[in-house]
Amino acid sequence: MNADDWLRTLTAELHQRRVAADAARHVVAEAATHLREGGGDPWVVFGPPQQYAGAVVESIGTAPGPRPGPVRLHAAGITKRYGRRTVLRDATLTVRAGQIAAVVGANGCGKSTFLRICAGLMSPDAGEVTVSGRLGYCPQSGGTADFLLADEHFVLVGAGQGVARGPARRAGRAAARQLGWEAGGDVQARHLSGGTRQKLNLTMSTLSAPDVLLLDEPYQGFDQGTYVNFWDQLSRLRDAGTAIVVVTHLLNQLDRVDIVLDLTPAHETGWHAPGIQGGRP
Amino acid sequence: MDSDRRGQWLRGVLDICVLALLSKGESYGYQLAQALDAAGVGPIQGGTLYPVLLRLQKTGLVTAQWREGNAGPARKYYRLTDDGHAALRAGGSAWLTFVQPVNDIVTKGVTR
Repeated sequence: MNADDWLRTLTAELHQRRVAADAARHVVAEAATHLREGGGDPWVVFGPPQQYAGAVVESIGTAPGPRPGPVRLHAAGITKRYGRRTVLRDATLTVRAGQIAAVVGANGCGKSTFLRICAGLMSPDAGEVTVSGRLGYCPQSGGTADFLLADEHFVLVGAGQGVARGPARRAGRAAARQLGWEAGGDVQARHLSGGTRQKLNLTMSTLSAPDVLLLDEPYQGFDQGTYVNFWDQLSRLRDAGTAIVVVTHLLNQLDRVDIVLDLTPAHETGWHAPGIQGGRP
Repeated sequence: MDSDRRGQWLRGVLDICVLALLSKGESYGYQLAQALDAAGVGPIQGGTLYPVLLRLQKTGLVTAQWREGNAGPARKYYRLTDDGHAALRAGGSAWLTFVQPVNDIVTKGVTR
């Protein structure tokens, strides 16, 4: 593990321990500066990242967990059939302002379908979705216009909200920077890498400052660093009061979410019914 | 010297040492570590030093500001506050009051 990896792990550890995002950034930057000036193996100078993160928490504490706000998304009894195949049976999810919900389950268990129903892009055969506030949706792929620049995407999203071109561009670039991406280039979307196109997708979905943000595995093609930035960004949005639903098949991030909805059918897991578990520790 | 024991001593007095060094003017982590080493306290690792600085900042004894150096990278500079000066006076004299009789006792024992 080199210094960059160590610093990345430290970043993740600090967020996992709910150190305030700003404070965490300073801690990491200061450690990076120290390592640059003094050299040395971070494992010797600072110790294992987990241990150092623990020492930091002991010194400065953690951000107060924001109290979950009002219910922003309520999906009740969602059932969906494709022909004779039932992909979703009685799925229920309630997400409040300031919470992250993860939708998990095996491939083909209806995660994306559930999200599209929540987004209003698809009708369920039974059940009801109630959304309170503005909705943002980031699909798994697509959603970008091949022949437009990133800036033009931002302007387009801005136009939908009555935001002028200049401010829309600036807001887009600032949001992209949160993902470690400088979006101001003159490259059409079709020439961006898959991972960068997803950053564009993700950036657009956050631009309208949605109250409910639905993300369908938006990190395909992200490198490790971007992936960390992505979860940092989610933590920030959550702390700012956004209700977030993220579809994922990666279970190693579940300790950073507040609610888990497992859509794996009951007969595959031995569970009685798909349901809600978890919650903030 | 037994490094475990040195670590224990340091834990009790490192914050006072840092406050004392900062009373001469603002400084940043790496420079403080070097100053402590140069003074003969021995090498202080970042993992030991920065949690102390963070605690001093959180309790308002120091303030911190990121600034570009003349040549080097941006660094987080720490500066003593009025409360820090007061804490240094109180904590420093408490330490001296404590360490003097300890020195006396140990000196008599060692030189007998």
